[in-house]
Amino acid sequence: MSRIKYIQKLLETKEISCVELTEKYLSSIEKQNSILNAYVNVTETEALNTARIVDKKIAQGQKLMPLEGIPMSLKDNISTKDIETTCCSKILQGYYPIFDATVWEILKKQNSVLLGKTNMDEFAMGSSCETSCFGATLNPVNTEYVAGGSSGGAAASVGADMAAFGLGSDTGGSIRQPAAFCGLAGFKPTYGTVSRYGVVAYASSLDQVGFIADSVEDASIVYDSLSAYDPKDSTSVGSKISTEDKLNSSIKGLKIGIADEFFEGIQDDIKKSVNAAIKVYEESGAEIIHFEMPKLKTILPVYFIISCAEASSNLGRFDGIRYGYRTNSYKDVNEMICKTRSEGFGKEVKRRIMLGTYVLSSGYYDAYYKKAQNLRGSIIRDFKKIFEKCDVILTPSVPVTAFKKGEALRDPIETYMMDICTVPVNIAGLPAISVPCGFDKNNMPIGMQIIGNSFEDYKVLNAAHQYEKQTRRYETMLPLSDSRR
Amino acid sequence: MISKEEVLKIAKLAKLSVEDEEIEQLTSDMSGIIEYADAINAAEDEAAEFDNINSVVNAFSEDIVLESYERDEILMNREGGENGYFVIRKSLRG
Repeated sequence: MSRIKYIQKLLETKEISCVELTEKYLSSIEKQNSILNAYVNVTETEALNTARIVDKKIAQGQKLMPLEGIPMSLKDNISTKDIETTCCSKILQGYYPIFDATVWEILKKQNSVLLGKTNMDEFAMGSSCETSCFGATLNPVNTEYVAGGSSGGAAASVGADMAAFGLGSDTGGSIRQPAAFCGLAGFKPTYGTVSRYGVVAYASSLDQVGFIADSVEDASIVYDSLSAYDPKDSTSVGSKISTEDKLNSSIKGLKIGIADEFFEGIQDDIKKSVNAAIKVYEESGAEIIHFEMPKLKTILPVYFIISCAEASSNLGRFDGIRYGYRTNSYKDVNEMICKTRSEGFGKEVKRRIMLGTYVLSSGYYDAYYKKAQNLRGSIIRDFKKIFEKCDVILTPSVPVTAFKKGEALRDPIETYMMDICTVPVNIAGLPAISVPCGFDKNNMPIGMQIIGNSFEDYKVLNAAHQYEKQTRRYETMLPLSDSRR
Repeated sequence: MISKEEVLKIAKLAKLSVEDEEIEQLTSDMSGIIEYADAINAAEDEAAEFDNINSVVNAFSEDIVLESYERDEILMNREGGENGYFVIRKSLRG
């Protein structure tokens, strides 16, 4: 039974009250957060208030909604009315949104219990939470390593059982990479299926809200509740398909695409684990189809140009006038804005704004931005062709396992290259999940990625769930059991 | 390659100030990354037009007046709001 279902069973059979459950999670946070740094803000009062409402409903014998009473976490770039939302940047410290992000509005209506806001790389720009103004998040599997990023706090909150599930965002792998590093399921849905309204924008055409959970089943339950059309998000499409109903479809005859390019430069033990997973699929009757992806290497620079260009435009709104940090001394408005931004943004954010401004500036626009957009079009076309022959594509999630602290900050280009397997998914707006498929020589988790065609999120979740069922990972991991720590 | 002068020009456009001791490192970082981005010029131009991911068309909403935010609520994020306005220090001479 998945963690969410197990918790709801405990609540409905009155084995535990929602207040007791919430207190258990809060004490789990109290015990571990000072080491892991997963939460940057714990919302204890909010959590206990919701838990009391849920207990009242249970006492009245009312049926619970799918995520009702489930303790969870939100990444700190998801707007929460009257709860500080900082994107882990100095420039937004002390900012209290006056509206809720749509995803939080839906969770609130379901009486999900918000435990707090989780750590992230500043404005989601990074792979280890080390660009966060609150410092790195450590990996619950082994604290010598980082939890990954940018949704590292979300992953650590779920991995250390400080939340039953966590919401994050994924612009180039920010859900899937930390999920892989922490041995969890990390799902990035099709672009447009889950509302982005109220999620502080990094690169709007690539950003997507996603989920980190203990199992694929849990990710599917959360997706089904949150994948609704939202008129407040102009790119929202929504989805009416229940993925949970399709989780147990047979994968006999499922066509799985494999491309050698995705395995180039991948750590050996990761290759081995992913190949072993491919065998598991073959034994279950799936058909393996080989294809070529010659453009893979050009996708990274395309991604980098587009994401920085959009970031430079999106982050133009931070001027210190209406909210957040403002510099102390200035002579005129221009100096106030320049000084506020220079003092408020961290090094990585400034670097990306500068690069984005450069590729959009006159004289360089055609050579970089326009060219990248054209390539994006042709990459999307390539994927469409692949999905005429395959149901899903299987790749490693990340070329390496978790980094040690400090490693990700050494060389920016080398670090960007770690996104090679995840970035193509955002460029084409596809759904993809990272699921655990083994451990490296240091016993750190390995993740594999399953990519699907747009709006076929159910195929991705089904394929991942079938693998997880075969390998029976999550059945041994019940929430809040002492054996887990 | 990108020059220091170009870096300073870009900083001005991006409304960022670059400290003297940062210029060297930033110029070298940006040059490295731009050189890497140049890899796209080796890729063949297939002129595949890209508009948006799911080919969605512009979403227009009906012209209906909806409830907006309270002015006081918006000003709460900035101490010193006065008479319904944001306040910054006087910056015009004369």
